[in-house]
Amino acid sequence: MKPVTSMLLVLLLSASVWRPHAAQAAESPSGRSVMEQTLLAYYYAGKDAREDVLMRIVNRQGQVRKRHLTMLRLDQTDGGEQSYYLYFHEPADVEGMSFLVLKHPGRDDDRWLYVPAIDLVKRIATSDKRASFAGSDFTYEDVSGRDLDEDTHELVGEEAVGEHAAFVVKSTPKRPEGVEFSYRKFWIDQATHLPLKVEHYDLQGTLYKVYETQEIQTIHGTPTITKAVMKDLGNERFTEIALQAVSHDIGLTADVFQERSLRRPPTQWVR
Amino acid sequence: MSFKNAACAGRQHSGFANRAFFCGLCVTAAGLGLFSRSVCAADLPDVHGFVEAVYGPKFLGNERTQKDEFNVLEQRLQLKATWQPPRSAPLASWNPEVFYKGDLVVDEYDEAVRYKIREAHVSASPFAWLDMKLGRQILTWGTGDLLFINDVFPKDFVSFFIGRDDEYLKVPSDAAKASFFSPWGSLDLVLIPFFTPDTPITGDRLSFFDTTLGQLAGEEANRLLTEPAFQPKHTEIAGRISRTVGGYEIAGYAFRGFFKQAMGIKNQDARELFYPELAVYGASLRGPAPEIGGITYGEVGYSDSLEDRSGKNRLIENSSMKYLAGYERDFPNDLRVGLQYAVEQMLDFTQFKASFQSGDVPRDEFRQLMTCRITKLFWMQTLEASFFAFYSPTDDDAHLRPRLTWQMTDQWKSTVGANVFFGQHDWTEFGQLEDNDNVYVRIRYSF
Repeated sequence: MKPVTSMLLVLLLSASVWRPHAAQAAESPSGRSVMEQTLLAYYYAGKDAREDVLMRIVNRQGQVRKRHLTMLRLDQTDGGEQSYYLYFHEPADVEGMSFLVLKHPGRDDDRWLYVPAIDLVKRIATSDKRASFAGSDFTYEDVSGRDLDEDTHELVGEEAVGEHAAFVVKSTPKRPEGVEFSYRKFWIDQATHLPLKVEHYDLQGTLYKVYETQEIQTIHGTPTITKAVMKDLGNERFTEIALQAVSHDIGLTADVFQERSLRRPPTQWVR
Repeated sequence: MSFKNAACAGRQHSGFANRAFFCGLCVTAAGLGLFSRSVCAADLPDVHGFVEAVYGPKFLGNERTQKDEFNVLEQRLQLKATWQPPRSAPLASWNPEVFYKGDLVVDEYDEAVRYKIREAHVSASPFAWLDMKLGRQILTWGTGDLLFINDVFPKDFVSFFIGRDDEYLKVPSDAAKASFFSPWGSLDLVLIPFFTPDTPITGDRLSFFDTTLGQLAGEEANRLLTEPAFQPKHTEIAGRISRTVGGYEIAGYAFRGFFKQAMGIKNQDARELFYPELAVYGASLRGPAPEIGGITYGEVGYSDSLEDRSGKNRLIENSSMKYLAGYERDFPNDLRVGLQYAVEQMLDFTQFKASFQSGDVPRDEFRQLMTCRITKLFWMQTLEASFFAFYSPTDDDAHLRPRLTWQMTDQWKSTVGANVFFGQHDWTEFGQLEDNDNVYVRIRYSF
């Protein structure tokens, strides 16, 4: 959702002409509507976006692996089809590799990988969206969003996370097969709709993975998570993610998200 | 379809000087003509690369080849550099880029130090609808996984069979490539003025079936391979039109040039082979498999043997039709499986049989080939176990490629693997390599 639209909505809802319905507006929203707003605020901010993603993957022994990539995103519709272009800068042995993902909610994404050393554009099967993203503790779904309809969302309360008032939503998968968690608990910032914390519970009901937002910056009017961590409690490892050089509504067009950009990166945005 | 008996010891290099000149020209043009501005620190090229050591002992030894005990023992330094001129430079709106990649190899098999330029090219986009790439480059298209129908660009199956990195399967071409883009689809056009064949199996490193001797041969194989002379009319042309419709990639291909393996006999007594003229026309389709998920693809190609269109000349390879169907899907926990089935149909088979002489290599009209790839990742994708198998039920032969790759850190990677060959007959693609079974170990530091 465009930030301007959401601000308008907030203004409208708080305006005096809406007083007769104020009671209704103050009523707790449903879990699904909270999560819908989160999906839009987190994965669909602006019409398009460009950001540098830096990841630090730290294992039990304290060994660190780093990933640095540039991500371009273009939304066709809010909450609907999206295109992603990812270009890897680090580590050195994957430098120059790029991915193109056409995200289709409700069915398998189209995904291509380009291997520059052999000039190969490879089509990749994408049935398993729970696979780790680039060897990190984040999954493909964490990076590009999980379909709202995959879970039932229940608002279980309100709680403060630090200084932020948050809704607490419990999301339970409708189809348990192919998912490693039995449910997840989200703490959603009431002001920005961004997730502040996510707890993952395994099939035995034990907490095993925790996501925490560490920094939110408002970039040209758009609240953006710029630092976060995903901790794998059982394996005692974690991945820190930092977003840099974030910009929205930069005028990306659909022709950036084609095979051409795999073979020849759109340097205007990528370097 | 994957490779053929290629045999020669004495490759005749036709245009080496021309080639060096061509590459030099490209880089000089980039350096002088386009971006003659002074270079400040910020404009310095981005440099990456690796150092690697490879050792590949043979299972049982092979007395035919130059070294009995191992296939490969080498240390390699690869450097690659990308440079873009500053945005203020003339023609900067063309988005020009200079790319170089070269390998320095200390090869203890050949007892030689070699320096090879793998890529040296300039790319630019003079118009919104045009990309150009000029110079030494790797060219790949088509849908097959290690099976090639419309990818007529040169390969190095020697590297592939002895355990070098997969990167070295592709041999660079000195070429000019133009890609035209439109809302209806795109067109790639490649001109290759300097012929580059597949790296031939010579018998020095891998023993093979020498058709001129009618038996397995190693070092003693001493055939002369004559490459097409450097002439404007020998410029190879390859084209591809492609577009994506609803997640399905459709492509049509055309090529006119030469066989990349010496499929013609020029003088049997002198054991002289040559690269006959070839045209290939084909098409491919790739997209999601409905219902079952995963990726499915198909490719066909008609190889027109231009110097033996009737199939009557027993000294030149016949025309053929090639078909390929493939399927790949992923499973939870980083498991991927890929299957392919390919058929190669020799055309004018009755002519082949009619002109068959004793001592010639027997062939089937329909050669079938199946492949299977299984890849599984462990330890947060830092350990990869992979297995690739070629199996031909008609040739009764197979090639197995198990491999373990461990990404120890972001910089260090080690790989162990094996190449194993089986065959009922000495003359089939994989059967001829039976004595070359090997294991290999690679360790690489990337920067």
